[in-house]
Amino acid sequence: MIAKYWAQMRAVVRLEMKKTFLSRRGLWVYLLAFAPVLMFAGHDLSMMRTREERRAIAAAHPVPAGALLSIQPGMTREEVIARLGEPNVDSRQIRFGGGRIRREFLSYTDGQSRYVFGFADGELQSISVREEETFAQDRLIFATVFQFFFLRLAIFFGCVGIFTNLFRGELIDKSLHYYLLAPIRREVLLAGKYAAGLIAAVAIFTASAALQLWLLSLPYESSLSGHEISAYLGVAALACLGYGSVFLAAGLFFRNPLLPAAGVLIWESANLFLPSALKKISVIYYLQSLCPVVASPHREINPVLALLISSTEPASTILAVAGLFAVTAVVLVFASRRARRLEINYGAD
Amino acid sequence: MTPPPVEESLVRFENVSRFYGEVLGVNRVTLAIPPGITSLVGPNGSGKTTLMNLMTGLIRPTRGSVRILGVTPEDPEKLFALVGYSTQFDAFPKGLSGFQFIYSFLRLFGWPREKCERLSWRAIGRVRLNDAAHRKIAGYSKGMRQRIKLAQAIAHDPRVLVLDEPLNGLDPLVRAETIALFRELAAEGRHVIVSSHVLHEVDLISDQVILLSNGYVVAEGKIQGLRSEICDHPMQILIRCNRPAALAARVFELDSIVEARLHADGGGLLVKTRDAGRFYRLLNHIALDGIDIESVAPADDNVNSVYEYLIGGEEPGK
Ligand SMILES: Nc1ncnc2c1ncn2[C@@H]1O[C@H](COP(=O)(O)OP(=O)(O)O)[C@@H](O)[C@H]1O
Ligand SMILES: [Mg+2]
Repeated sequence: MIAKYWAQMRAVVRLEMKKTFLSRRGLWVYLLAFAPVLMFAGHDLSMMRTREERRAIAAAHPVPAGALLSIQPGMTREEVIARLGEPNVDSRQIRFGGGRIRREFLSYTDGQSRYVFGFADGELQSISVREEETFAQDRLIFATVFQFFFLRLAIFFGCVGIFTNLFRGELIDKSLHYYLLAPIRREVLLAGKYAAGLIAAVAIFTASAALQLWLLSLPYESSLSGHEISAYLGVAALACLGYGSVFLAAGLFFRNPLLPAAGVLIWESANLFLPSALKKISVIYYLQSLCPVVASPHREINPVLALLISSTEPASTILAVAGLFAVTAVVLVFASRRARRLEINYGAD
Repeated sequence: MTPPPVEESLVRFENVSRFYGEVLGVNRVTLAIPPGITSLVGPNGSGKTTLMNLMTGLIRPTRGSVRILGVTPEDPEKLFALVGYSTQFDAFPKGLSGFQFIYSFLRLFGWPREKCERLSWRAIGRVRLNDAAHRKIAGYSKGMRQRIKLAQAIAHDPRVLVLDEPLNGLDPLVRAETIALFRELAAEGRHVIVSSHVLHEVDLISDQVILLSNGYVVAEGKIQGLRSEICDHPMQILIRCNRPAALAARVFELDSIVEARLHADGGGLLVKTRDAGRFYRLLNHIALDGIDIESVAPADDNVNSVYEYLIGGEEPGK
């Protein structure tokens, strides 16, 4: 029996695969999924170019790093130039107050960081050092993009695109009845369709996440720990699992999938402000708990809102994974009940 | 211990009604269909597709129960081992060739590849689409699409075939071939249940005809029985025109008229005749002088009027 269901599910997956991966309507899913890859690639390129430039300058006009560090506020322009030589990056003068006040900036690089010395009337007043971006900074940027763009928007809407179409698309094409005229339980059909959507979504979104992680560490010696990498990939896959079930169901219950999508989006965004019992009826709560670096929004939002945020402890890894599977299972049970009652009624759609 | 049940060989409807919201699909249908070719015949909207969808579980009865050889349509695993259905929807999954279409849906049975390939080719052979099997269905003609649907319905060798308007869109040669296939399938002891809105298309090949009108079964039985039932009863026709009284005087000159009376609203004439065909022909002649005839239609819902509609050949272009 189980062997038969398994064979039937595979047959459904085979039929669905082309649609989930290659539908013309679904092209935007790829754009959404791979937008952060483009962003990180662009970031890497510009960073490598800057580095290249600084190295070339430092090689042509070397400035000793020790000398750069010995410069103190209060020195005169001449003293600074005596120690460091003429600026090897650039110098700029600004005059204002009818030409009476004169400011000057001299920039140097030791091949890695960039030093800008600001003078007012010939006396050194400010020193700013633009260090090379660090891996730690980029890691935080990645964490933020992952949580606020990739999970909440890219995977979210990607799953809207892939999963709502599993049933709705065929109702629109008037080809769903072929499935319903086969000796296959509706639950098995639903499971097969869900599996097909999941394979596509997980492949697309974990591939994108893996590329992003690779690009993240590309310019640096260091990289994320294997544990952190697998956590991100796992969270991306679990997001597909959770949102996939929700939007598979949405496609069965609603004619226009954008309405439930908007509803779920609002619910998931409001999650931060919900009392902790309600928080747990969501997907994002568990995903958030599983993210390796907590990119907390708390600091940036205004204090009134901060008061509204209920401070539920993030769930432990095991609880979060279990919670996500539980939410998914409940949603799928509802969806398969609906699939059982489903009638072919193309005319009325 | 109860004795094992005698194997059920009928498609049964027991007092089945189906409403679409307020709209009546079919009402109080009780049928027992034996093996052989059975035609569901009735004008568009009379409930043929509704009955077929009820047999195959695509929709559920509002009241009553349906059993296909003893199996409820609620149980797809059992039902579709017995039933194949070619629907009226002229739609297919995207991007598949004829062969892929039949093969992929056979795989849903959970059968191994070789078996599905063999069954696919056999079905394609039976509808004579071998040459087109590897072309995309999107490029098929209407007739080829009808045939590939038929092949899909028979591929798993079902005992009950349900075919909604299977002769639609077929040219005469293919139509003859298809009818021969129905006979073959029926001779193998299967149920072949076909629908049509044109009686003379199916009456000669059917072992049994079920006439439908406005959601009711109005007659059922062997076609010879139906004919005599129809001929014994005069049929009533309503003629809408501007001068019903003048028309009444004229129509009494026709010998086939049993009775003619003015319609209660004064805008028409009700005529009873034993020979509707002859009456229609004669009406064309008297209509010419000064009486504007708006419409001529069967006035009641009985077998005669449906039959008249069906054999009347009123469908333009048929
Ligand atoms: N999905 C539907 N929603 C509302 N009414 C419907 C639907 N399907 C069929 N009907 C109505 O049910 C009646 C029977 O239709 P149908 O079974 O399609 O007839 P047929 O196949 O003989 O043309 C018609 O009046 C039709 O308008
Ligand atoms: Mg129909």
